[in-house]
Amino acid sequence: MTSSTTAPRATGDLGMTVRYALMSTRLAFRNTRFLVVTVALPLMLFLLYANLYKGQDAGNGLSVVAYLMVSMASFGCIGAAINTGARIAIERQVGWNRQLRLTALPGHSYLVAKAIVSMLVTLPALLLVFLAGATIGGVQLNLSQWLGTGLAVWLGLIPFAVLGLVIGFAGTVDTVQPISMITYLGLSILGGLWFPIEMFPTFLQDVAKVMPSYWLADLGRSVLAGDGVPVNAVLVLAAWTVVLGVVGVLSYRRSGAKV
Amino acid sequence: MTTNPTQARDGAAVRLTGLDKRFGQVHAVRGVDLLIAPGEVVAFLGPNGAGKSTTIDMLLGLTRPDSGTVQVFGSDPVTAVQAGSVGAMLQAGALLPDVTVRELVTMFAALHRHPMPPARAMALAGIADIAGQRTQKLSGGQSQRVRFALALIPDPDLLVLDEPTAAMDVQVRRAFWASMREFADTGRTVLFATHYLEEADQFADRVVVLAQGVVVADGTGAQIKSTVGGRTISAVIDGVAPEPLGQLPGVLGVDRQATRTLLHCNDSDLALRALLDRFPQAHDIEIAAGNLEDAFLELVATSRQEATR
Repeated sequence: MTSSTTAPRATGDLGMTVRYALMSTRLAFRNTRFLVVTVALPLMLFLLYANLYKGQDAGNGLSVVAYLMVSMASFGCIGAAINTGARIAIERQVGWNRQLRLTALPGHSYLVAKAIVSMLVTLPALLLVFLAGATIGGVQLNLSQWLGTGLAVWLGLIPFAVLGLVIGFAGTVDTVQPISMITYLGLSILGGLWFPIEMFPTFLQDVAKVMPSYWLADLGRSVLAGDGVPVNAVLVLAAWTVVLGVVGVLSYRRSGAKV
Repeated sequence: MTTNPTQARDGAAVRLTGLDKRFGQVHAVRGVDLLIAPGEVVAFLGPNGAGKSTTIDMLLGLTRPDSGTVQVFGSDPVTAVQAGSVGAMLQAGALLPDVTVRELVTMFAALHRHPMPPARAMALAGIADIAGQRTQKLSGGQSQRVRFALALIPDPDLLVLDEPTAAMDVQVRRAFWASMREFADTGRTVLFATHYLEEADQFADRVVVLAQGVVVADGTGAQIKSTVGGRTISAVIDGVAPEPLGQLPGVLGVDRQATRTLLHCNDSDLALRALLDRFPQAHDIEIAAGNLEDAFLELVATSRQEATR
């Protein structure tokens, strides 16, 4: 390679990463099971709850329905982000990752691409639950509140995207489904997405407060209520991102010896 | 891509030096040295577990050798792969699910800097007719041809095929080798692994025999055939010592098995004529094609003896 090709090569890598992420995202949407679990389920639960709690006040200036909207959107998004891990495990199993290592896509670009996929596949759950909230749920917010809350929840999903990578490289095709299901439900329930943590016994409330899922919903609700971005939530989510990132890189390296 | 930018400084397409790899207790590859010149079509022949796939994985940079070096067109394998100089058809596994053949090939092409147009790769691999099918629905032979198309996508100077014809029926196999030859004839280097001597002999200029992780023979197909592809004459020959039998033309070695005598031959026709001519009492004669596995093991034993000598 001559030096003149260095710059185009770098942009080439970026272009390739984005292309791979988009192609990979398209494939994820083809999976019916994925759409049912990550979009239909949270949407249905939200509609069910919205019907039950219509018109009730959550006490902090929020309607219960708005509160539930953030919880259910978070629930669906977490599932979507974690599901990327299941797809990675399957792709590893069938030898696609070995095949990918015979392309010009570098290993780190692959990881970035899959993290982008995790973030992109959360969008249907987020948008549809918010849409259902605005229409059927009767949640009334101005445009900047909608955008701010959506963006807060979406960016708060970064540690979950990394968690998807960890699951994809630590799991095998046989273990990845139970692992991701347990993680998904565990995070959702313990993080108070299904029931407010005030209904938990005290020790479980303490457990909830180390869960990234709790802080994800907390972040969304704070922004929704106009309380701004809570520093605690950002710190906890950032800490999870760092820890999971380290675990992810380690398990990626370890899996490289096997795939 | 032309061959010029990737020509090795020393001219070799592939240079393996002292390649060694263990997996726990298994010593898969034991000190393989191999030099392949650009344009050569080389077969890697050996029984299962001979270390062919491990050697290929190291050649492609998929597995790191414990010791020894790999050079592909003068650079390390990962660099060569990323530059698009190497295309490979990996063994078995499944294809990426939930995509059509065309999508898969197009997606793969998007991950290369100077890919061959997907339509051309599919035409060369003979899969244009199944381009719209989902990968899960393909037969074994069709999947293999899709893998071949993926291997062609980089428009590589070196094409590596790991047991490419597994799961192919005879006709598909023939068509496959025809497309491989067509591609090789444009001056590309090809290395393919097989455990069929016939395939190696027919389609390669050079056959490298690997057994128990060691290169035990290296030559033209005809040379290898005479070494490992011989037949065995089994007969009851009363009252004859092994020595004169061993001296018959076409006979390489003699074994006793109860009442029967086994003559290992590199030319069984010649040996049989001489046998009946000189020892007409020979009866209950059977001729069997040589067992390749046995021949491989014999080669391993011979190469070890030579090494300790």
